[in-house]
Amino acid sequence: MANFSLEELTVIEASRYIKDGETVFAGTGLPLMATMLAQKTHAPHLCFVAETGPIAPIVLPTPLSVSDPRLQYRAVRLGSLREVLGCLLQRGMMDVGFVGGAEIDEFGNINTTVIGDYGRPKVRFPGSGGGNDILSHAKRIIIITRHEKQRFPRRCTYITSPGYIDGPDARAKAGLTSKKPQIVVVTRLGVMEINPESGRFQIRKLMPGSSVEAIMEATGFCPDINGRIEEVTTPTDHELTTLREKVDPKGLYSKKV
Amino acid sequence: MNEENKVMNVREAVEKFVFDGATIGLGGQNVGRLAMAAVHEIVRQGKKNLTIYGCNLSINMDILVGAGLVKRCEAGTGNLEYFGTTFCFRRAIEQGVMEMEDYSHLGMISRFLAGEMGLPFMPTKSMLGSDMLTRQCKSTGKKFELIRDPWNPDEPVLLLPALRPDVALIHAQRADATGNAVIDGFLALDVELARASKHTIVTCEEIISEDRIRSDAERTSIPYLYVSAVVEQPFGSHPAGAYRYYDYDAEHVKYYQKCSREGGNALEGYLKHYIRDSETFDDYLEKAGGIKKMLVLMKSMRRMV
Repeated sequence: MANFSLEELTVIEASRYIKDGETVFAGTGLPLMATMLAQKTHAPHLCFVAETGPIAPIVLPTPLSVSDPRLQYRAVRLGSLREVLGCLLQRGMMDVGFVGGAEIDEFGNINTTVIGDYGRPKVRFPGSGGGNDILSHAKRIIIITRHEKQRFPRRCTYITSPGYIDGPDARAKAGLTSKKPQIVVVTRLGVMEINPESGRFQIRKLMPGSSVEAIMEATGFCPDINGRIEEVTTPTDHELTTLREKVDPKGLYSKKV
Repeated sequence: MNEENKVMNVREAVEKFVFDGATIGLGGQNVGRLAMAAVHEIVRQGKKNLTIYGCNLSINMDILVGAGLVKRCEAGTGNLEYFGTTFCFRRAIEQGVMEMEDYSHLGMISRFLAGEMGLPFMPTKSMLGSDMLTRQCKSTGKKFELIRDPWNPDEPVLLLPALRPDVALIHAQRADATGNAVIDGFLALDVELARASKHTIVTCEEIISEDRIRSDAERTSIPYLYVSAVVEQPFGSHPAGAYRYYDYDAEHVKYYQKCSREGGNALEGYLKHYIRDSETFDDYLEKAGGIKKMLVLMKSMRRMV
């Protein structure tokens, strides 16, 4: 087993949550890396869809934007935002969606809009983009992010994209069609997943060298611990060489050791 | 068919269809197919108190905000992904000099959909349970209505009001003189936006004959009926790209981001050198690397199509 960085392993672990044949919605960066890795390893029949309209492109390394021509190469359709967000996502045809966030709280809610007063914010972030639409409609949501306390507050100051809002039945009450999506966060410390019974995050896996204490230390809320906590499987040679040579050969996103 | 020739230069198009206080819809996304020649011209003409509508607003919006011309945005995001956030946008909101009313991308698309079909509003199941429904700008009137699905009374449904911008700025690869426009590559929001708007300015890489349009009519993305002005401007999307024609100019995007992040003199310097002191968009292209740079971007694209 070659040396690997924890950053590489987060991408590899995230890719394992994609099953063959699934439709996957991802922006650029680590989510796209995870999607491409899945496609080139265990999920050759996944259908990758980008927000701007491309359906099932053969992605060339390495797109820096969802508008990048590298992300349109040999697609079966170059459609529109309406087709992707409306006719696939809202219609309920998207299995997996990737999102990021400045704040992710204990119910899996995400803030990508503001810190502070809405009209005169202390910090203004980009906004929802398609993020709210992904959290509203995808069946499984995968988040790859840095694990730091301020990124995981108990409550988001602004909910841009709804996780389980404030409890296990809140999504149904709010009228969301996807009532109990799977929400998974992969970080350098481990994997947390929303427990649909409680609507709250619980620790599922630990990255090599990590511990429950390390996760608690770097999390602003107290994730649940139910049952056995597994170790994240270290990368296979195939996963690692595919990531390095075919997915991100220039190392623009995932840094090697 | 009314065969009015709508070809004009970008100065005439902006003079004619953009005015102080106008609501402007911006087509394209991030570093793909932005109507940058029209944006530059708006800065040169100093059209002010603008409201910008769109989904993923990019350098096109950020330059207008940086030039102090925008009072309000209604959009999904201001964002350049790998290249960072849109810094003028961020600063203007944090300093309270510009309002931003937030919707999801599908929320905005739904509003353009209502606009293009002559409907007052559009239902969506996005944005439910989010703070986009609990917070809004002071000057925003009724942002949404929450109803029960009349055929399934247990299900809440969100209604969002139609949008009909005064003018849409669209960059297409090709158009004929009457305004039949052909877009290559992803469409983003452009077709819905153009059909929802009162006027559309189409800037294009090249003007083609009506005969070419008629011999391949299923490729027409926007028919002439929605188009008020046609401007031929090769490399008119720079530093963003145009699918099948040229790649985006990552170096120039990074340079703009450096200036916009720094703000103040750096930003002013960019606006003065590249836009205000350029008489035309061709002058800007010369300053941005000229024919040599454009050939590199063309070659880069040729390897990908």
